This record gives sequence, structure tokens and C-alpha cells, in this order.
Amino acid sequence: MGLIFLRTAIIFIALLAVMRLMGKRQIGEMQPFELVITLLIAELACIPMADTSIPLLYGIISMLTIFFLHQLVLLIDLNFQPFKTLVGGRPSIVINKNGIDISQLKKNNLDVSDLIESMRAAGFFSLDEAVYALYEANGQFTAMPREDKPKENKESLPVLIINDGKYDQNNLRLTNTDEKFFDNILREKQIRSVRKVFVLTMDGTGKIYLQCKGEKYQTFRIPLPGGSAW
Amino acid sequence: MVKTILSLVITFALLVSAALFENFFVNAQFEKFSAAVNSLQEKVRNQTANRADAEAVKTLWDAQKKLLHIVIPHGDIAYIDYWLGEATGCIETEDFRDAVSKIEVLVTICKQLPEQYSVSIENIF
Repeated sequence: MGLIFLRTAIIFIALLAVMRLMGKRQIGEMQPFELVITLLIAELACIPMADTSIPLLYGIISMLTIFFLHQLVLLIDLNFQPFKTLVGGRPSIVINKNGIDISQLKKNNLDVSDLIESMRAAGFFSLDEAVYALYEANGQFTAMPREDKPKENKESLPVLIINDGKYDQNNLRLTNTDEKFFDNILREKQIRSVRKVFVLTMDGTGKIYLQCKGEKYQTFRIPLPGGSAW
Repeated sequence: MVKTILSLVITFALLVSAALFENFFVNAQFEKFSAAVNSLQEKVRNQTANRADAEAVKTLWDAQKKLLHIVIPHGDIAYIDYWLGEATGCIETEDFRDAVSKIEVLVTICKQLPEQYSVSIENIF
């Protein structure tokens, strides 16, 4: 039983470390250690139940060990803040007043399309609609709406044109535009290469959200060739 | 907080007692069984063993394995059953040469099995 206790504890710690390293995209509204427990407990209960050659006590001891570790993590969490940050992580502010915080996105193994997806799920269809947006420690997405934002006519969905220095060919087709069209816009904004652009989105009214790597975002409007196509 | 600490202490106490119980219980059971197997081995070497001697060891084992099933995978117990059955057959037919080798396997299992459940680096990893 001592052996099972140690083996379960080692697997628990290893899984927890892996979950933390994987970032917030792997967690769905649970603390990392809660997710680890959910993953382990089902297997621990099932294996001795289905395999009659394994004593039932093995499953019970493993589950008791998981319960012990759960209580231990909770207790240390409440009394020792650095441990809580180590085990559960901390919220990541991915959008601030300057726009998208690229380093925070990368740190959590997320990209712009993941962020846009989370924004849409939270009811924000344009990146500049939120003044702050963050992924909580449990992976949940929270955004704070921009108060000073004038109400716009939301006629069409903003689509991602440039994602981390690369054109999205599907969305170029969707918007009836091409790389040359956006290259000209970038040139007007004194941006020499598309690789410097972290994100560029455009909606059906010609409103563009542009953010270069390491710079503050900007929004502006352009006339669309042939009007809105989507 | 008090409830959490209390549950931690109780769980830890339960786990430690289960570990200690397993260690002492498995060792004690196998010590008894090893002694019986060793004495049977002695008799087989002297070619004085008969079916009754083998049956006595089997009866002892049958009584012990009922409790051992709680803490040891049933496959390991069936393994001992198999080798004990083979040795009994060889003793009955007075094939002492084969019986010695079968009992040697039993002696090795009796030595190795309790070690498999002890807390050691090679068992943990």
C-alpha cells in the first residue's frame, strides 16, 4: 500500500506539472489540480473494478491518496500564496489598453484565433471592444467592455486577415481582397513588411484593427473594393 | 480549516496503517509458507516426501491465500497454486528430481513476492 501511495503521488505531481506546462488552453473551467484529479479518479476507480485480478483495495488506496493530496493542496493553497500560484497559475491579461499582449498569449500556448474565439464566446466580436481581457487561472475567459467606445453598426463579422505575420488566404478570398491590397494599406501606415504585423482584422464596413509586434494597436477605416462581400 | 486538517490527519493515518499492515501481513504469511515449503524441499531431497506432506503444505497455503487475496494481485496467487500443484503431482509419482526443481521455483517466488510489495526505488519506478 505504501508503494501505491507513492506511485499515485508521483503520477499526480507529474500530471499536474504537465497540465501547468500545457497552459490555459488545456484547462476547461477547472483549476489544474482539479483537472488532474478528474483525469485520475475515473481510471483509478475503473481498473480494479473491471480487472478482477487486481485487489479492490488497490483502487481504494489510490483514491484515498488522491483525496489526501487534494486536501493537502487545498490547505497549502489557503495558507501559502506562492504555492497557489505555482500549482494553479495566475490570471493572464491578454488584452490591455495597448492591445493584445503577445507574450501572455504565447506563454499560454494560445494564438490570435483562439483569442478571437474566446472574445466571440464572451460576446465581443471585435478586438477593440474590450479594454481588458484575461484568462483566469482556471482557463475561463473574462473581458471588460470599453466604456468610451461609440456604438457602431455591427453589420458583419470582423475576420482575421493577418495572423502573426501571415496572410489568411481563406479570409482574403472571403473578403474579395488580395495580399497586394493589404500590402498597400501597410505601406501607407509605414509598415514595411507583413511579418511585423501581429494581427489585422477587417469587418464588412472596412473597419480595420491593426497591431504590429511590440506596438500599440490602431483602428481605422478603409473603403472596401466593391463594398462588403460577407 | 479544522475539518481539512482533520481529514488530512485521518487519511494519512489510514494510509500509513494500511501500508504497515500490508508489509507485516504479507511478510508474516510468506514467512510461514516459506518455512513449510523449505521443510517439504528437505524431504523431497531426502526422497522421503509423500502426498500427505505436499497436501499439508497445500492446506496451509489454501488457508493463507484467502486473506492474501485482499492485498496481492490474484495472478500472483494463481502462480503459486500452479507450481504447488505441479510439485504435488511429482511427489505423488515419486519423481523427486522434477519435484526438487518445482519446489525451487516456489522457494524463489516466496522470497521474491513479499519484496515486490516493499517500498523501494526499483518498485516505485
